Amino acid sequence: MNGERFRWLGTRVRRLLRRGRQEAELDAEMQFHLDQLTAEFRAEGMSEGEARQAARREFGTAEVYREETRDAWRPPGLADLWRSVRFAGRSLARSPGFTLVAVLTLALGIGANTAMFSVMHEILLRPLPYRDSEQLDNIVRVTAQNPKGLVSVADYIDLLAAPGVYDQVAAFVDADMSLAAPGRPAEFARGLRVSANFFATAGVLPGLGRDFRADEETPGRNRVLVISHRCWVNRFGGVADIVGRAVRVDGEPHEIIGVLPESFSDWRYLGWIDLFRPLGLSRDEITDRRTPALELMARRAPAVSAAEASGFVAQFGERLATDHPDENAGASWRAIPLEVVKSGDTAAVSLTMLIGLSGFVLLIACSNLANLLLARTMARAREFALRAALGASRLQLLRPLIFETLLLALAGGVGAVLVALWGTDWLTAASTDDQGVQVIFPLVWSVLGWAFVVSLITALAFGLAPALFAMRLDLNATLKSGARGTTGDRGHLRLRQGIIIGQFALATVLLTGAILFVRGLDDLNNSREGWESDDLVTGTVLLPETAYATPVAIIAFQQQTLQRLAALPGAQSVSLSYTMPFFGWAESRKFRVEGQEIPESGREPAAVINGVSADYFVTVGTRLLAGRMFDARDTADAPRVFVINQNMAENLFGEASALGRRLAWLDGGALKWGEIVGVVRDVRSVFPGADRVRFQLYQPLVQEPRLKCEIAVRTAGVAPSALVTGIRKTVTEIDPDLPLRKLTSANARIERANYQVGVLGGMLTSFAVLGLALSSLGIYGAIARTMAQRTSEFGIRLALGAEVRDIKRLVLMTGVKLSLVGSGIGLFGAIGVTRLMAAGFPRIPQESAPVIVVVTVLLLGVALVASYLPARNAGRINLCDALRAD
Amino acid sequence: MDKVPKELLQGTLDLLILKTLSTASLHGWDISKRIAIVSKDRLSLKQGSLYPALHRLEGRGWIEAEWGVSEAGRSAKFYRLTGAGRKQLETEIEHWLSFASAMTSVLQMEALS
Repeated sequence: MNGERFRWLGTRVRRLLRRGRQEAELDAEMQFHLDQLTAEFRAEGMSEGEARQAARREFGTAEVYREETRDAWRPPGLADLWRSVRFAGRSLARSPGFTLVAVLTLALGIGANTAMFSVMHEILLRPLPYRDSEQLDNIVRVTAQNPKGLVSVADYIDLLAAPGVYDQVAAFVDADMSLAAPGRPAEFARGLRVSANFFATAGVLPGLGRDFRADEETPGRNRVLVISHRCWVNRFGGVADIVGRAVRVDGEPHEIIGVLPESFSDWRYLGWIDLFRPLGLSRDEITDRRTPALELMARRAPAVSAAEASGFVAQFGERLATDHPDENAGASWRAIPLEVVKSGDTAAVSLTMLIGLSGFVLLIACSNLANLLLARTMARAREFALRAALGASRLQLLRPLIFETLLLALAGGVGAVLVALWGTDWLTAASTDDQGVQVIFPLVWSVLGWAFVVSLITALAFGLAPALFAMRLDLNATLKSGARGTTGDRGHLRLRQGIIIGQFALATVLLTGAILFVRGLDDLNNSREGWESDDLVTGTVLLPETAYATPVAIIAFQQQTLQRLAALPGAQSVSLSYTMPFFGWAESRKFRVEGQEIPESGREPAAVINGVSADYFVTVGTRLLAGRMFDARDTADAPRVFVINQNMAENLFGEASALGRRLAWLDGGALKWGEIVGVVRDVRSVFPGADRVRFQLYQPLVQEPRLKCEIAVRTAGVAPSALVTGIRKTVTEIDPDLPLRKLTSANARIERANYQVGVLGGMLTSFAVLGLALSSLGIYGAIARTMAQRTSEFGIRLALGAEVRDIKRLVLMTGVKLSLVGSGIGLFGAIGVTRLMAAGFPRIPQESAPVIVVVTVLLLGVALVASYLPARNAGRINLCDALRAD
Repeated sequence: MDKVPKELLQGTLDLLILKTLSTASLHGWDISKRIAIVSKDRLSLKQGSLYPALHRLEGRGWIEAEWGVSEAGRSAKFYRLTGAGRKQLETEIEHWLSFASAMTSVLQMEALS
């Protein structure tokens, strides 16, 4: 018996494994039978052809038996299932238009949302890649100028000594470096100088090699490097013997002692860092309480909450203000959990908005699906009634519907995976910058699953509910009501019209939000307030400290660079500066105005500063309003001079002229006064979160030369990109060890820097287009179907003397009415979206009224077209057919 | 003699096959031939319908198949009854006989009255 059972099981398994061979065997078996039959008929005296035909007649339709046999091969339940699926598939294939639209709707709706949520997960939800990252705080010093200011080294050392709530407090500071492996030209590398306990605080230790030792924080011993996994792979080819390798950093020999694990790739908080080097603080720096120098990351003791830590840090700040009022009066300290810091305020708002809008797309998609299924099921009400009358059970009636819906949802789900994969790929590609850095947005499958389940439920609900409803109908009435079914029922009509209205309301909100946002982005990317970006090439150069130790050396390099670049064919004017007009303005300094009341400590005015070479204003196109620009007079030894912006001039001196007035930096030392010689236009940064114009102050580059500077070349008669090679060649000729970074046209660089905003815009546009397309599809489908259902009514109207024109108008008006009501409701939502945008993006223009008008007109137009197409058919109604149809 | 209507045949095909195979190991063609001969051609069905039935029975473990060589020297698939099939055959014969005798007695009673 056991053997029997085993054999039976063996048969099953064999069957599963050898489906192809089984088919062949079945064919051979049947063929054998047919041949025998044919032979028999031949023996009865038939011709070959006749015999074969007779045999086939006797045998029956082989294909049918083959199919039945295949059913026998499957487990009984499966065979049934397969039959249902096949039936549903055939039924869907009979209305390919409906199927295509439904599957596309699902795929786009689910796919777009999954991509969106995957991005949100990556940016907002996924924890930072540190051990117990919720225990980490960012400690900042809040001043009037900077809500997230750095702290001085002396203050940091005080904090370390304070008994408190933190296990570890690590300090770090941005320090871009030039990195050169032996025998290779120097490259620009993103670096951090960190305290020795930095990795211990983060809770991530190097995967290869070792962590920093405490004594390596002292100058002289700090020539050791920990590199990121990315840096190891990209710059060192991932070689195994990386630990112990000697490289030059800023021209000095360093040893690589460790490589971080790949998981330590944190673009959200630290950014992509290549190199980590110990702080190496000098004796002077350690006692410096004045210069903001360090960023702090601290790990709370296990039982300490964020609120407790925040209280402790605030108290510490107060104590500093009391103990060292000169430096710390007016400043307060704050601890902010790292997980809050990482995403930033703008990101949170814009993502929330995007998610809201993508939710709208899903809603529109689901309602479209609902409408389609509703219409389809209602059109089959008669079929259901008939089958119910013939004694089909409820389950039997619903079974094909359930399978159709499942099949639709499944196909939509597969499409959604494709759309979502494509979407995240696109976002990943869009985030790739010129250094090959990119943010990879992995697909969040759980979200896909969730969206899929939602749409499945929608599909089931709207596919089955009407069918259940149809079963409750009076069978007699349904069957009597006419050949076309009972679609004229008022309740259904109202439901479907309600869905259309809802879609138009959603589309109004979606479009208004998207247009406002995209216009704002456009404004952001193309507004060049106070300067001109066309025909401008820019790049960053970083001089290694060892080779350019003195201001004289730096100035010599800069002079040579300016001269050589100006000689390039196609270069109209050339300049060097600390920063370009469009970015950063990172550095701000407090100053005092000569002859004005001295404000109390901590309340001094501050200005962002830029050091510029003589032709800077001409090169970037910032207009001079009064006085003069810098020129050859302003050498390193000449009297100090400043150029300030309009806003600063008006604020400090009102109507009076700013020219000839004097300012001095408050940098702790003796006041060194400089004269204001010019006033230029305000320049606004192109970053989305950037503030309005602040005080902007320019000084001659030669009077305070820096290692890092920006090259700008304005071209004449040639495209900016044409000059890139020439510029790179020239700089390499001056110093072959010099890395030149981000050398490209200013416009490209701005677009690059604002890529997140660009991606946002791209996504929004696609959502808006998607929403609009889905809504118009919805209204078209609804009107077309109504049209088909009312053919006989129209026939009667025509027979009673109505003109084709009247019928068309009737159909058109239905569509217009629905869209108007929908848009009207949508207005409220649109106003809400506008408010939300105003809160999240203060710089985006808020002229929403014209946008809303445009959107309403657009939607009306869409409704007209979508209704016109079916209305056109009114002229083609054949009176006889229409009246006879019932 | 008239042919047995098709409707009556449905559901009995399995029994016919099992019974035919109870004496020998046969291929599909032989089975259909044998049923035709023994039933004196009254039980005629489309011969192709034999194959889904054979595979169904094989799937249930009542018969098993093996490729062999037919009398004509061609390779053919031979079916034979398994132990479980033999039991099934007995059960089905019992069912059928009791059903048939029940039907017969009811019909005869009606004929008498």
